[in-house]
Amino acid sequence: MKPIAIIIVFLALSCTKTITPALNTGATQLIIQGAISDTPGHYFVSIVNSTSFYTPNTYPGVSGAAVSIVDSTAGLRDILTETTTAGVYTTHSIVQGVSGHTYLLSATVNGKTYTASSTMPLPVALDSVTFDTSDTTHITARANYQDPPGIANYYKYGMVINGVVDKRFSIFEDRLSDGRYIRDKVDADTGEIRRNYTVQLCLVGIDQYVAAYLREAADIAYNNGSLAAPATPASNITGGCLGYFSAQTVSSKTRVVTW
Amino acid sequence: MEKNNMAITLLVLLPLALSAQKRNLSVAGTIKDKSSGETLAGATIGFPDHPDLGIVSNSYGFYSITIPEGHYTMVVSFSGYAPDTVAFDLKQNLVLNRSLSAGNAQLQQVVVTGSKKINNILKTPPGLQRLTVNDIKDVPVLLGEKDILKTLQLLPGVKSAGDGSSGFYVRGGNSDQNLILLDEAPVYNATHLLGFFSVFNSDAIKDVSLYKGGMPANYGGRLASVEDIKMRDGNDQQLAGSGGIGLISSRLNLEGPIVRDKGSFMITGRRTYADLFTGLASDTNVKHSTLYFYDVNLKANYKLGDKDRVFLSGYFGKDALSFQHGRGVDWGNSTGTFRWNHIFSSRLFSNSSLIYSNYNYNTQFTANYNNVRVTSGITDYQWKEDINYYLNPRNKFDLGFDVIYHVTQPGQAVSDQTSKYNNITLEKKYAMENSVYASHEWSPTGKFKFTYGIRLTALSVLGPGNGKLVKTYWNPEPRLAATWQLDEESSVKLAYDRNVQNIHLLNNSTSTSPTNVYLPTSNVVQPEISDQFSAGYYRNFHGRTYEFSSEVYYKSMQNQLDYKNNANLIGNNNVEADLLFGKGRAYGWESYFHKRAGRLTGWISYTLSRTERQISGINNGSWYPATQDQTHNVSIVGVYKYNRKWTFSASWVYNTGNAVTWPSGKFPVDGAPVYYYASRNGYRLPAYHRLDLGATLQLKKTAKFQSDLNFSIYNAYGQSNPYTIQFQRDPNNPMLTQVQQTTLFKTVPSITYNFKF
Repeated sequence: MKPIAIIIVFLALSCTKTITPALNTGATQLIIQGAISDTPGHYFVSIVNSTSFYTPNTYPGVSGAAVSIVDSTAGLRDILTETTTAGVYTTHSIVQGVSGHTYLLSATVNGKTYTASSTMPLPVALDSVTFDTSDTTHITARANYQDPPGIANYYKYGMVINGVVDKRFSIFEDRLSDGRYIRDKVDADTGEIRRNYTVQLCLVGIDQYVAAYLREAADIAYNNGSLAAPATPASNITGGCLGYFSAQTVSSKTRVVTW
Repeated sequence: MEKNNMAITLLVLLPLALSAQKRNLSVAGTIKDKSSGETLAGATIGFPDHPDLGIVSNSYGFYSITIPEGHYTMVVSFSGYAPDTVAFDLKQNLVLNRSLSAGNAQLQQVVVTGSKKINNILKTPPGLQRLTVNDIKDVPVLLGEKDILKTLQLLPGVKSAGDGSSGFYVRGGNSDQNLILLDEAPVYNATHLLGFFSVFNSDAIKDVSLYKGGMPANYGGRLASVEDIKMRDGNDQQLAGSGGIGLISSRLNLEGPIVRDKGSFMITGRRTYADLFTGLASDTNVKHSTLYFYDVNLKANYKLGDKDRVFLSGYFGKDALSFQHGRGVDWGNSTGTFRWNHIFSSRLFSNSSLIYSNYNYNTQFTANYNNVRVTSGITDYQWKEDINYYLNPRNKFDLGFDVIYHVTQPGQAVSDQTSKYNNITLEKKYAMENSVYASHEWSPTGKFKFTYGIRLTALSVLGPGNGKLVKTYWNPEPRLAATWQLDEESSVKLAYDRNVQNIHLLNNSTSTSPTNVYLPTSNVVQPEISDQFSAGYYRNFHGRTYEFSSEVYYKSMQNQLDYKNNANLIGNNNVEADLLFGKGRAYGWESYFHKRAGRLTGWISYTLSRTERQISGINNGSWYPATQDQTHNVSIVGVYKYNRKWTFSASWVYNTGNAVTWPSGKFPVDGAPVYYYASRNGYRLPAYHRLDLGATLQLKKTAKFQSDLNFSIYNAYGQSNPYTIQFQRDPNNPMLTQVQQTTLFKTVPSITYNFKF
């Protein structure tokens, strides 16, 4: 229930063009992003630097960080090691996250330590993915699931379309929907969903602080033009960096678009 | 001893003797338009043989002056009318109702020059600017919809909130800090179509008084300005009508006497029909969208004898807008005012008003399963008393009180069975706002005038549900104004005023969004307070042909509201927890040069100003420019009467771009680029400028029927002024990000047919 983006019938009169205003390059920011989930894995933590607006969307990895994740509920400590990709670190001893456990991240980069804590919520199962084909030129995927009553739940949706991870993320919380059966439209990033595409939809259960960061990030990424005062999202990692550390549950369904 | 007694007797008797020789008597009455019977507020009543005497009619056209008996020549003048001269012998209290004829500007020039001793400079309060519908009728506007709020934005110190927007900022205030009154009823959202038009149909409006400083004590409740808009009373002489047919809307107005010279009515309606065309659109989204607004103004008044007159006025308006999939909104204002003017004596005038104002807005989501309707609104119930007491030409007193009961409904959601949303009712919030005021207008000599007064406002926060008193905030609001007349054509004015605001608007969108949240003052939200000092120099040339003014102001504001990053304003029972509080300051210099008569009329307005905020939690608590901090702001308006048939007009505006928040870098979130913001309002939009052109062709002009065609071109040279600027991933190259600027209106031509009978 966001405020409405407007431009209506005046569409006919309005016009859009690409401009290149001069933008300052602020101080380089450190971004730490990592997750533990209830699906088996190696889990990864990536550490990169921000870039200026007009450069390509590639972010230099930060090597040589000391990264660890502790399952504080089980008392298990995992020292991550850097992979062959600069700035990407992998777990070894934590093989599968457990719902209800609290995980602590610590990363020391150039002598500064960043820490975060995240507790994995109870899992929520995705019933199905369906498609709204009422307008076949704008097919949208829909996540269908039951929100558990009496608990504050926060969700992230992700999609894999024909085997390619879609880079759009969206957030839903049950603040106004506790205990409802949810049928939620999920937007894809670029390109359209067409007949016979294979779509995997992931319902990711996240904690409150991760949801706040991602909700702010989504607003900035997709809606910055209509915000009176956009601001950098607030990370759940302390120490003065961006990014998030999330202990999360994942439930996914795959389906081919047909009608 | 005897001598002393004698002296005392003389001292006691002397004044009596003198007064017996020359008694003070009063002249009072109502100033009206001759052809329609409309009362004229702000008309100047002067006496050429006594240049230090004079008064201005009040907002009901009533005037009263108490002067020694004798022979007088009285001149009544009002902008756009031929002055009316009357001579009389004052031997007893006199009722003198005068009617003025609308005169053309050239005639006015001559006459006004001839009676230049009649001085408007001294009588007008500092900071007041009055616009009549006559003043705006030739100024070119978007889609030919004459709009009094749009024209106000061409005056110094008043800044537009953006393209096609009726929102505006006065002397550094926010757009919710303007007290917009329609026949005394506050109008909460004065915009139609998300801000492209104002709710004020010019057919129904008589005039607007704009105060940007030195507010008289009878106004209160908002920090930045007062826009006191009066509806016309309706013609009490004969049945008359007017209307217009434009590209997107049509208007019709009907008015006439209920009983001739006793009472009249007026009914005015307007509706857009853009939605009739959306059905023809090829884009399916546009095709199945709804878009319209309508509004209706109603007014009736009746004279119950010589001393009493009652007025009933109402406004109802509604907007609706929806898309095929997803969201729809509708919103509307309704206001109603019942007023009773009573003349106790020729010196004592009173007005009692019962006022109702409601603004509600509904958001609807109709996405397949997820149907939900969210209703929000604010309602005011108000009782207001004003008394004007005209003691003598040197002293006038204004007294009154005001009781307002505010009810805000932050949101109530009703969902379908299949919706993902629950039914939610946020608690209604209640507040009582009580004010009393007293003000004294004192002219010790003909050259000086002091108006000083105080307004005392008590805001009582009432508990949700039970209405129990939680807390009361008391705020005295001193108001001072002084005028010093230097000579017949120039004066200096000083003013100080404090204003308090207890209804606060939250809106985290750049557009005038209908999803506003109104909050009354509460335990957490303190009353907003502003203090303003202003000083100005005013000068007329050639009678009133040319008018020049130059003003400076400094304003400081306390308890200003902002919100935490990405605050949830919708469906949030504890929105107060997401708010931030701080201070504001604004200062500037305004100059204004207006040519009022002749074939070429118009004005040049220039404002140099700064507007800043300091909010803990934003930009490390340092002062930063507010969005509306436009350093330079220029408006040039010209209207040229080429001949009897053609009138041409042009207006050009220029302002420094608004302060905006743009990225200083980017970073990935789940692979998508997200932007890094180093500071709030650290960038500037490019300067805004635009030229509008207009032409009016008089088609037919008889005593019974008049018609004209109005042509206008909005943004004549097609300047791409930004409406929104979006930072996004380049759709053609996902490895890059780009900046997209949307311009709402390039050149928009339009044609409107207007008629009057």
